[in-house]
Amino acid sequence: MTEESKHEFKFTEIKFKVQRYNPENGKAPHLQEFTVPFTKGMTVLDGLLHIKENMDSTLAFRTSCRMGICGSCAMLINDYPHLACHTQIEELHTDKLTVKPLPNLPIIKDLVPDMSTFFANHKSIKPYIIRSDRQEMEQPTAEYTQAPKELDSFLQFTYCIKCGICVAACPTSASDSEFLGPQALAQCYRYCADSRDEGAEERVASVDTKHGIWHCHFAAACSEVCPKGLDPGLAIQLMKRSLVSRAIGSKKKKQPAQVAKLPAEPTKPKVPVPEFTAKGK
Amino acid sequence: MRNTYLQLVQLITGILIAVLLGIHMVTQHLDAVLGFFGIDIGHPTSWSSMIERSRQGIWAFIYIALLIFTLYHAFNGLRNIVLELTPSARAERVVTGIIIFVGVVFLILGIYAPLALLS
Repeated sequence: MTEESKHEFKFTEIKFKVQRYNPENGKAPHLQEFTVPFTKGMTVLDGLLHIKENMDSTLAFRTSCRMGICGSCAMLINDYPHLACHTQIEELHTDKLTVKPLPNLPIIKDLVPDMSTFFANHKSIKPYIIRSDRQEMEQPTAEYTQAPKELDSFLQFTYCIKCGICVAACPTSASDSEFLGPQALAQCYRYCADSRDEGAEERVASVDTKHGIWHCHFAAACSEVCPKGLDPGLAIQLMKRSLVSRAIGSKKKKQPAQVAKLPAEPTKPKVPVPEFTAKGK
Repeated sequence: MRNTYLQLVQLITGILIAVLLGIHMVTQHLDAVLGFFGIDIGHPTSWSSMIERSRQGIWAFIYIALLIFTLYHAFNGLRNIVLELTPSARAERVVTGIIIFVGVVFLILGIYAPLALLS
């Protein structure tokens, strides 16, 4: 018996236990069972789509890109928060799946959580570049310069897809409903660490609050579950360090990135442009 | 920056407690270990040793400092836990009020003992 065949998925059917909840009928959330035929390469999202298309069209869940980019299909799969489109059923090594909506967020219907507080928290940390040169921001003459090393200091945090999985896993979000959550706090660091940004003072005011950054216990569950491999726990710790440096006055004031100087003469392309392309024929 | 300052003091008091509690532990509870290394400090927990220590200003200072740091560290930590579980402005006022009151009572009682022994 080869190593591959030893781990071969032997089930032909998958039993889905899906949490159902409709606020209009007044019933408490309950589990409904569906049996779905298994096909190789099937994801949990494929299974849910099969249920919706062939068994029960009233099942509600979010989905869009089907390739782990949009963050819409985040849900609790066998008690682990993950993207349904990114979870191969075969990798779970079982034919019994329990699918529930993300915890720590209110439920709108079935597997659809209410993300409005999540996005409000994200918005509260001003997730955009803030500059004092408003004229340049509104009518840019060129891009701001940024060295690769400066970009590396926050690059991984730019990959956040805002799926809400980190908030679902966070023990502080579970106990404190007003906690900003790991996503917003990590994004606060992402923008404060950006060498092009000058808005750290404004953002500090939104995270140095009663239910802000200091309520993070550094359980690092957010880093464990992030489907994009980000480390929000690290970002929060770095943000805390930045706040303490600011409080004791040891924070070095850096000059924000300058606008790139345009060359005096228009540059010529180094690679010669083919005749047919240049002439458009 | 109020919350950062509160947390920074929490961090500093934690370090100071480790130092002062370390002094307390070594000089009063690790006499057998010190004896193993050839350092004889007598019987630190005997009545006469305790009275003798209590009459020294440095020990009164260490105990009062340890008391202040421990009270802040413990009660601020407790306040954070309670406020995390009951997030409301009213709960915050009530919890902060109770914790400050109990902390001040403990502080007065705790300071009284070493000062009385000192005089």
